[in-house]
Amino acid sequence: MSHLSNPLASAAQLFSRTSDNALPIELQDSIRFYTARLTQAAGILLRFPQDITAQANVLLHRYWLMDDLMQHEFSDVSAATIYLTAKMSASPRSLRSITNVYAYLLSPSSSLASDTDPKNDPSSYYLSESTYIARRNRLLHIEGQILAALGFNTHVALPHPLAITYLQTLDAFHGKGGKAVAQKTVQYLNTALLSPQMLYLTHQPCALATAAIYLASREAGVKMPENEWWEVFDTEREELGFLVVGMKSLEGIAQEARERYGGGAMISRDDIRQELRKMGLVPGGGPGSGDAVEDEEAEMARMLDAKVSA
Amino acid sequence: MATKMKSRWADDEEDAELEAQRKREKEEKKRAKAEKQRKLDEQAAQLRLQEEQAAAAATESPSNQRELSSRPSKRRRLSPESAVPQTDLPPAKLLRFPGVEWKRCRSVEDYEKLNDIEEGAYGWVSRAKDMTTGKVVALKRLKMENAQDGIPVTGIREIQTLMDCEHPNIVALQEVVVGEDTSKIENIFLVLDFLEHDLKTLLEDMSEPFLNSEIKTLLLQLTSGVNYLHNNWILHRDLKTSNLLLNNRGQLKIADFGMARYFGDPAPKMTQLVVTLWYRSPELLLGAEKYGTAVDMWSIGCIFGELLTKEPLLQGKNEVDELSKIFELCGIPTEEAWPGFKRLPNARSLKLPKNPATHGSVLRAKFPFLTSAGSSLLISLLALNPAKRPSAKEMLDHPFFAEDPKPKSTAMFPTFPSKAGQEKRRRRGTPNAPVRGAAPDINVVDFSGIFAGREDEEKGGGFSLKLI
Ligand SMILES: Nc1ncnc2c1ncn2[C@@H]1O[C@H](COP(=O)(O)OP(=O)(O)OP(=O)(O)O)[C@@H](O)[C@H]1O
Ligand SMILES: [Mg+2]
Repeated sequence: MSHLSNPLASAAQLFSRTSDNALPIELQDSIRFYTARLTQAAGILLRFPQDITAQANVLLHRYWLMDDLMQHEFSDVSAATIYLTAKMSASPRSLRSITNVYAYLLSPSSSLASDTDPKNDPSSYYLSESTYIARRNRLLHIEGQILAALGFNTHVALPHPLAITYLQTLDAFHGKGGKAVAQKTVQYLNTALLSPQMLYLTHQPCALATAAIYLASREAGVKMPENEWWEVFDTEREELGFLVVGMKSLEGIAQEARERYGGGAMISRDDIRQELRKMGLVPGGGPGSGDAVEDEEAEMARMLDAKVSA
Repeated sequence: MATKMKSRWADDEEDAELEAQRKREKEEKKRAKAEKQRKLDEQAAQLRLQEEQAAAAATESPSNQRELSSRPSKRRRLSPESAVPQTDLPPAKLLRFPGVEWKRCRSVEDYEKLNDIEEGAYGWVSRAKDMTTGKVVALKRLKMENAQDGIPVTGIREIQTLMDCEHPNIVALQEVVVGEDTSKIENIFLVLDFLEHDLKTLLEDMSEPFLNSEIKTLLLQLTSGVNYLHNNWILHRDLKTSNLLLNNRGQLKIADFGMARYFGDPAPKMTQLVVTLWYRSPELLLGAEKYGTAVDMWSIGCIFGELLTKEPLLQGKNEVDELSKIFELCGIPTEEAWPGFKRLPNARSLKLPKNPATHGSVLRAKFPFLTSAGSSLLISLLALNPAKRPSAKEMLDHPFFAEDPKPKSTAMFPTFPSKAGQEKRRRRGTPNAPVRGAAPDINVVDFSGIFAGREDEEKGGGFSLKLI
């Protein structure tokens, strides 16, 4: 058993994203980026320690290598993973608080919406009892789907504590810029969670920690040892190089997303369908990406509601 | 059955025959293992090949992914295929990680049910056969209490803890399977190695207790499993004979991780509502919110006593009764022996005699046949003060296991008829594991009721428990 390592995505799992009936990669990227960002924002509002939010996003990315992206509404998948992760942690949250936070984040008042100056209008995120129950049931349904898709393996090892240990080993905490390096390191690690490249699914925590330290120390102008110090932390030069590029690239992705969708808080399956149409592609071409599945889903939600109110 | 078992012990010929059979089985297993390894290697090679082909295909026709995109942007150089971990780098000195992945749950329909092992109020365990491999396993159905909160967190934790563990004395979780209808995940089953017995049922059916040499073997296995757990920051929190499985090769495995939890150092606040009453330590009974590995060591002490006599050692009727049984057997806690115990929440409501007639433990007298090393081990495990109990590691090094009779080799363990392997079993000898909910609050009323009665009763016994 290891607290320090993660299960990694197999080549086949990663490759399936590019199969014929998959969504165009850049739409997949937007979905992954926006949804992970939503999770991050919800984690802050729910006052979770960062490790819970981070684990939730890793599980989210893992799940989306198993099930079709268009299977469920993205924000619901985000809420379900955060509910699940918190449940297993020392700081569980009720479905009620989670649905409330998501209602707010998805509303026009959302703090996530970047270009407008949102006026806080509580009525825009008020949840009626029946809406709440429907949402709750949807989240519980997705929770089961996630666990089954992951084979109930919820183990997530994070690079954050490792990075701190490494920094201590490198003596990088001391001297000028020590604190800045630590902060930047953590920032890089958190930003990488939002990356549609899913670095946490392809690289072990030790490599992620090392790459973040590498970037942070360079940026802060802190001198690192002359030798190939990353090898001490079980990271090879090639891997380090790849991760350094990967961690730097999120800005571009975020920029591109803003251009495409505007400064909204979140995108939905409808936005994606619209994009597909714009691209001259028929939404619903591939299995799971179409309206048939959506109907099936809505049907399911209705059934669940009926069951509860019965 | 009892006499048959006895005669088997004396029968050298049969022993020799059995020995030979075991040897054959061992050889057979070795062969199977080699074969399995070969297959694994083959699969790995196959997979590598596929990976390479996939990567090649992706680089050959990068348009595959771009065709559909409206803007083949600069960012494309970060193609996912380069994220595939490189397999052909020199492994050198760097740490390699096992290539575990996650896989979707299979259906329970892939297993053929053979017979029920245990069917409780909500617990359900049965023997089943994997229809693809023919392997016999135990299927344990996850309890679905509090379904309005989704999949019970206790179940998820039980699964995760078991998945994290790999040790010969911990039952192996092979996979998790779900009911055929995956539109709602309600039926969840743990697929576990099947073991023929649990110690509880076995002890109930034996006419004579285990021999000392056998007890040592069982305790050593139990303790090395617990040592592994504690080294990995896991508390089991429900060690008892019905959660210890034994196969026909004398191997013991710890099961039932429904109460298990990761713990930190310093100890986090945790619920005291753990551990089945008869195996529950005094600090838990007194309401300690911070506790640690010593609660498992107390349970091991109770199991040790039970193995010696076949009878659970401390059969309290409720929390208060359990405490008084403990004090009867292990002595009255004192401020010197257990500094600070009086500050535990439930200790405030009990008044202990200042000058009890009998002070210390009566364990030595209760187990006169135990060597002095044996009783010193038992007494230390059942120390009221958790800090005085040995760690699992210390226990493994205890002289008791080095002295004669030596632990019996597992290969020489007798075999017993297996109930789990055949008919449904009926059993409810021990109180059930605690139900989740509010922590037990030994309230004053409770104490007064019982101790009032006990006071007279126990006068002659040398000590009394009183309410303030
Ligand atoms: N892998 C196994 N092989 C054989 N029998 C098993 C196995 N796992 C469990 N059993 C049998 O089923 C019983 C109950 O299993 P377990 O303790 O894991 O379930 P539980 O429902 O959590 O138990 P409880 O609530 O009664 O403590 C065990 O006492 C044992 O007899
Ligand atoms: Mg049990």
